Amino acid sequence: MISMIKHDIKIDESFYKVEEIRQLTDETFSLKLPRARFAFKAGQHISLGIHGDYQSREYSIYSGANDENLEVLVKEVENGYFTPKLRKLKVGDLVEIHGPFGKFGMEPHLALSGKFVFIASGTGIAPFRSMVRTYPEIDYTLIHGVRYSNEAYDRHEYASDRYILCSSRDQKGTYNGRLTGYLKNCTFVPETHFYLCGNSDMIFDALEILKDKGFERDQIHCEVYF
Amino acid sequence: MNSTSIKKVAFKTLGCRLNQYETDALVTDFDKAGYQLVGVDESPDVVVVNTCTVTNQSDQKSRTTISQAARANSNAVVVVTGCMANNFKEKLESQDNITFVVENNRKSSILSLVDAHFLGEILHPNQLPQDVFRYEPVQKSLHTRSAVKIQDGCDNFCTFCIIPMVRGRAVSRPVAEVLESVRKTIENGFKEVVITGVNIGRYEDGAARFEDLLAQILEVPGDFRVRISSLEPDGFGDRFVDLFKHPKLMPHLHLCLQSGSDKTLLRMRRMYDVAQFRKTVNLFRSVYPDFNFTTDIIVGFPGETDEEFQDTIDAVKEFNFSHVHTFKYSVRRGTRAERLENHIPEKIKTERSAQIRELSEENKKQYLNSFIGKTQQVLVEKITQGIANGYGQHYVPVRFKAAGVQKNTVYTIRLTEIRGVGENMYLFGELND
Ligand SMILES: Cc1cc2nc3c(=O)[nH]c(=O)nc-3n(C[C@H](O)[C@H](O)[C@H](O)COP(=O)(O)OP(=O)(O)OC[C@H]3O[C@@H](n4cnc5c(N)ncnc54)[C@H](O)[C@@H]3O)c2cc1C
Ligand code: SF4
Repeated sequence: MISMIKHDIKIDESFYKVEEIRQLTDETFSLKLPRARFAFKAGQHISLGIHGDYQSREYSIYSGANDENLEVLVKEVENGYFTPKLRKLKVGDLVEIHGPFGKFGMEPHLALSGKFVFIASGTGIAPFRSMVRTYPEIDYTLIHGVRYSNEAYDRHEYASDRYILCSSRDQKGTYNGRLTGYLKNCTFVPETHFYLCGNSDMIFDALEILKDKGFERDQIHCEVYF
Repeated sequence: MNSTSIKKVAFKTLGCRLNQYETDALVTDFDKAGYQLVGVDESPDVVVVNTCTVTNQSDQKSRTTISQAARANSNAVVVVTGCMANNFKEKLESQDNITFVVENNRKSSILSLVDAHFLGEILHPNQLPQDVFRYEPVQKSLHTRSAVKIQDGCDNFCTFCIIPMVRGRAVSRPVAEVLESVRKTIENGFKEVVITGVNIGRYEDGAARFEDLLAQILEVPGDFRVRISSLEPDGFGDRFVDLFKHPKLMPHLHLCLQSGSDKTLLRMRRMYDVAQFRKTVNLFRSVYPDFNFTTDIIVGFPGETDEEFQDTIDAVKEFNFSHVHTFKYSVRRGTRAERLENHIPEKIKTERSAQIRELSEENKKQYLNSFIGKTQQVLVEKITQGIANGYGQHYVPVRFKAAGVQKNTVYTIRLTEIRGVGENMYLFGELND
């Protein structure tokens, strides 16, 4: 039996050394890696692997397209397969990255002319941070649903009048309750583009609310995490 | 190669049309190089097994096919390629009955590998060039219709699908190469070209999108018909609908719905909803009322409730798919759905699958019935026991008496009755003089 090299890619191109780990809450952290060796559009994701493990997982890119580092935002899932392993990574460890993938996001020239509403649950905020960092002039409102207000990851980076925190388990959000409760009472101009990211239940409910408000499915873009 | 040393090659193909196309292209390669094409039971010197790993059943089938082919031909060079070669590479490589394991992106160079083997050179599969579009236009095929591959890979990451892991990112073949391949395929005598790829709606070569490519393919001179293999419902507009006015483009689409429930679709990470799908179907049928839609449906996806399944039943009825390729959901290792909660018991999946199949047969009967008394242009694919078999423009199966009829030729057939049952139902007709 003739054996073959395991991967058909150049090994050095897809491996990145962890440069920094930012602990954002007890469960959530970001992995800072060297600058991306590929061009990406804000909103895209990568697939991340750990050396020696057969599985990989997708993560939205958390950094801006022109940032010094490639960064991802990860929440450790209890009894999860992959995130507990990511959690154990240390500065200097290698991760394997493929990408960029996906169509979630706007064409760069539209980012500066459109009106955007970003709707995220939990770590679903990741692609929106990338968009805001990539297009600092973008006209957006970010509605972020979390359980506890300490999950408002890097909130100081968003203008306070553009960031709406909906916290369902404490009273410290802009709105106390689920983001869908907040969304029901909102009004938006007809030409708004909506970007929804996070778990499929939230996305399903938010889609129903937006469709009820008369928005076309074609103006609503979704990225489902789980 | 002189006649005393003519080598015999056999192929076994599992899975999708893309795999079938790739086998056809390999048949052409081996044929041109002087190999004789034989069956696996005719003592071949080389057996190529083109595997599939889309479901657990296809895994099992691929494994069985490999061992049967290897056992029956213990002296043959056994080449295993296809998605299983990507997904279970190490395991396959450790099997003594397999000579080479060649991943999808090197598949097109299998002839070089086998030739080198017979010449006594040691060529490792990893020395083969990687190019998913290296295939020669098909000349000699196991079929009369020939596929042209325009795209490979997919990065949609639907939660149930292993393809993004085994076929890699989406890549498109340059327009000029596709057109050249179509031209050669027509020169080689094929009357029907099937546009193939993993997710062809995502075709993108510079500014050219799928519709632009299709428009150019239709303008290639010659007497041939064009079909589209299978499409994701990725939002098609008026331009795409308009293209079907072209006489070369056949009025049939296999548009993969997968589920009729918006909630299930989101759990599958399919980013359209039933209303968008409806819009596409209605748009087509408002222009071409008898347009044929077929689809894929997965039943028993994790968390699929009775209500969600009912939505799928309703959708199959509403959209009148003339055929539904029904899959019982099966876990693929390494996919996201593997880790989803609420997996559905096998018994329920089987019941749901039976219901969809039954509906599919009813729909098919109704659809075929609507052609009785009408004519179809039938491309004859095979003639057995005096009966010609082929498909009409709408991809309806047609048979008729073959007196004076030739293979690979189009005939106008007046359709008179439905024959056969279930999956094997077809239209019977007569030559329309
Ligand atoms: C395109 C895409 C982009 C993604 N981007 C991110 C990202 O930027 N950050 C991120 O943390 N995750 C992201 N995810 C989810 C990520 O890929 C993994 O699913 C997640 O990290 C859990 O992996 P795991 O192996 O630990 O859990 P698994 O063992 O796979 O268990 C999965 C279960 O955990 C739950 N779960 C999955 N993801 C989350 C989550 N983020 N929060 C809470 N519960 C969850 C679900 O119930 C799921 O069924 C993304 C997914 C996709 C498809
Ligand atoms: S669109 Fe989804 S189902 Fe189709 S190949 Fe891509 S990931 Fe698989």
